[in-house]
Amino acid sequence: MAATDIPFYQPAGDECEVFAHAWRQQLPVLIKGPTGCGKTRFVAHMAAQLGLPLFTVSCHDDLSAADLVGRHLIAGGDTRWCDGPLTQAVRAGGLCYLDEVVEARKDTTVVLHPLTDDRRMLPIERTGEVLQAPPGFMLVVSYNPGYQHVLKTLKPSTRQRFVALSFDFPRPEVECEVVRHEGGVDAELAWRLVRLGGQLRQLGGHDLDEGASTRLLVYAARLMASGMPARRACEVALAEPLSDEPDTLAALRAVIDTQFGS
Amino acid sequence: MEDWVGGWWDRLIRRAAYRGHPQAAVALADIERQAPVFFRAMGGDPALTVRSTVGAAHGARRRLLERVAGIGERVELGWRDAQSLYLPERIDLYPDAALNRELYFWLMALAARDDAHHGGDWFARNRAATAACLRQMPGLAAVYARLAAALLPLRDLPRRADERAQELAIRAALQQPHQAIALPPCAQPPQPVPLWLHPSPPGGGQAHCARRDGDAAAEDEASQRRDSKARRRYRARDGETDERKNGMLMVFRAESLFTWDEYVRVNRHTDEDDDSDDGAAAEDMQTLTVQRDTRRRASRLKFDLDLPAAAYDDTPLGPGILLPEWDYKRQRLVADHARIQPMLPRDAAPAALPERLLPMARRLRRQFQALAPERTRKQGEASGPDIDLDRLVRFLAERASGAAVAEPPLYQAWPPGGRSLACLLLADISLSTESWLGDAGQVIQVIRDSLLLFAEALTACGDAFGLYGFSSIRREEVRYLLLKDFAERYDDACRGRILALRPGYYTRLGAAIRHSSRILLEQAAQRRVLLILSDGKPNDLDHYEGRYGVEDTRQAVLEARRAGLIPFCVTIDRQAGDYLPHLFGRHGYTVAHDARRLPQVLTRLYAGLTG
Repeated sequence: MAATDIPFYQPAGDECEVFAHAWRQQLPVLIKGPTGCGKTRFVAHMAAQLGLPLFTVSCHDDLSAADLVGRHLIAGGDTRWCDGPLTQAVRAGGLCYLDEVVEARKDTTVVLHPLTDDRRMLPIERTGEVLQAPPGFMLVVSYNPGYQHVLKTLKPSTRQRFVALSFDFPRPEVECEVVRHEGGVDAELAWRLVRLGGQLRQLGGHDLDEGASTRLLVYAARLMASGMPARRACEVALAEPLSDEPDTLAALRAVIDTQFGS
Repeated sequence: MEDWVGGWWDRLIRRAAYRGHPQAAVALADIERQAPVFFRAMGGDPALTVRSTVGAAHGARRRLLERVAGIGERVELGWRDAQSLYLPERIDLYPDAALNRELYFWLMALAARDDAHHGGDWFARNRAATAACLRQMPGLAAVYARLAAALLPLRDLPRRADERAQELAIRAALQQPHQAIALPPCAQPPQPVPLWLHPSPPGGGQAHCARRDGDAAAEDEASQRRDSKARRRYRARDGETDERKNGMLMVFRAESLFTWDEYVRVNRHTDEDDDSDDGAAAEDMQTLTVQRDTRRRASRLKFDLDLPAAAYDDTPLGPGILLPEWDYKRQRLVADHARIQPMLPRDAAPAALPERLLPMARRLRRQFQALAPERTRKQGEASGPDIDLDRLVRFLAERASGAAVAEPPLYQAWPPGGRSLACLLLADISLSTESWLGDAGQVIQVIRDSLLLFAEALTACGDAFGLYGFSSIRREEVRYLLLKDFAERYDDACRGRILALRPGYYTRLGAAIRHSSRILLEQAAQRRVLLILSDGKPNDLDHYEGRYGVEDTRQAVLEARRAGLIPFCVTIDRQAGDYLPHLFGRHGYTVAHDARRLPQVLTRLYAGLTG
């Protein structure tokens, strides 16, 4: 695969190597980190890097085991078995990525168990098939531990089956590179956005539920690159998405003015 | 007549000499709600609070007119210490209100950047901090340029050579903060620079004061009350006790007029007057000398002399319930060690929701109605009024494919909606909640509001909930106030009970948690949340203080968690980070940094925890 086809990802540490080692050793990986810090992009990047087909499932609270494994469908008076994304990934020896896995119903994650230990198999109850995962197959799940949510956590029996990587917002130099590349702005503007992001992140946990994500910084950069005035771009991309309270918003605007005021 | 002319002259000359622009003044109160957020975003310590400062004499040469009018010798400058960020109460330096407002934000950014460990004098530190701000925040640099340019014409250029050199250096530093300039020596202190931080911030009198350990807590409370009452900071000075036994206040009458804020030890009784006059005197003083002597005021003593007569006390319900307590030294539960006394608040007349809470309550109700589970169709039921077509089709398709599949549940039902969630809110109403929070009133007031609004919100979303308050007087009497039972409907009677809550006594948290757990375990719900609203560490009159109380509480929390409850603590105690992780785990608590926002924090937390 040509290098240009690999989605851009700026490593912040040794996460690429860890991931590659885990893949070689056929170990499943758990990625945790705040919203918009690059978890999904990292997985896409690694799948392309390792030359694996990627099957992404965004988990929601109504996701059932059948949604992952597959179901029978009726086609022209006949019934036909249709693989779910997990089964497809096992058959293709690809990378199956379950985004925000804690959102899925608790019983759903149990179907992952036989796949995540040394058996590496997927029994399909409805067809009576038992799939043995090929060496290329890898399971990756992610979740955001930042929400203090008493009802939604990963069961320890599920957690303990993964190699875990902790993600955070990248260091300023790394993030600047990301914003510059993804947002299409010059380095000076990217620096200002990254510093603004750093200022807004100081408020996470106190005044805001979570600080500004790298993704939002990239959004702001892209709005600026397409010709929007800098202050307005920051307002719509970095202030409004973070809070609904008028006082907090006024303060965020004052913070934005420290970088983009005139 | 003389008085009248004098007063008139005084007003006239003061107005003529005054250099500010009162018509463009911006008060700290105007930006008070944005200030903490902004300061934190600039990198300021999140634990600091914003307060107004009082004027300090700057000692620089004044204009003739000012000297005649007798004004202008004080100036309010911003500064920061370990506890607070101090800002002028109002700024009217510039004729343009926008500039005055920008000056507030500039001072906050500068204070967040200022490094107390940075060597060098006032001049160098401010210059360095300014340069750092400008380097990192180009938007703020534009603001600064405006402020500095507008400031220069307002400054006088002294005639004397050394003062002139000093003033020129300051002007140069204001214009070019990036260049290293030294301040030329001069006998006269320089004119104050409103764009910079205080040249000699008071050294935090409280911090140096070596306290007796025993009454530190009581004193903290007392000083907090004073602080929040006035919300002003006086320049405090640590004094060594004057060894002269009977200092004379007036040696020479005329002299004493000028030196009356010198510290002189006067041998007089420690009286218990109201603080009102002291406050006015403090306003006039430049330095308050804080001194420890060996005498104690009775109010600091920890007696419980205020046991109410039975007729005035809350109404006890039944003889009380005995509960165990954890003794960490023996590492075991001591059976029947604490007595819970359920009570109803006295004089609780049914009352409607107070007027001032109505808008907030309306907003919360709307917001929480969205959380309420609708009566949703439930698929895949073994029996029900409708057929689950999806499942039936899937089942028939599977059977047609030849795979032997047992018949699944194929009906749809409409069971009553319910998240099957029960929440018990336990509020600490010990005596410490009597303390003041500035304009917001007392802590107990905020707790009452929080309870009321929380109840409104939960009524809207339909979750089962109970409200209780507690305080304690030793282990014999842990007062457990029933505000709303789980079985009860939330109505005006409950609101009345909440409004009748009064602070009193101590905090035996462990017993209260144990009893709450028992109540919560009786509720038939899948998930049961135990929310604890606290304002400080567990403590009581006996040995339930320090480690004993903390360990007992921790044990009670662990028991609750083992029983399948979800304990969570919301506190307004800033020091909570020291002990709450030990009690509730790192993700088991949250600190409301601004107690006035407790109702919002509490309801948002509930929505976040369970939504």
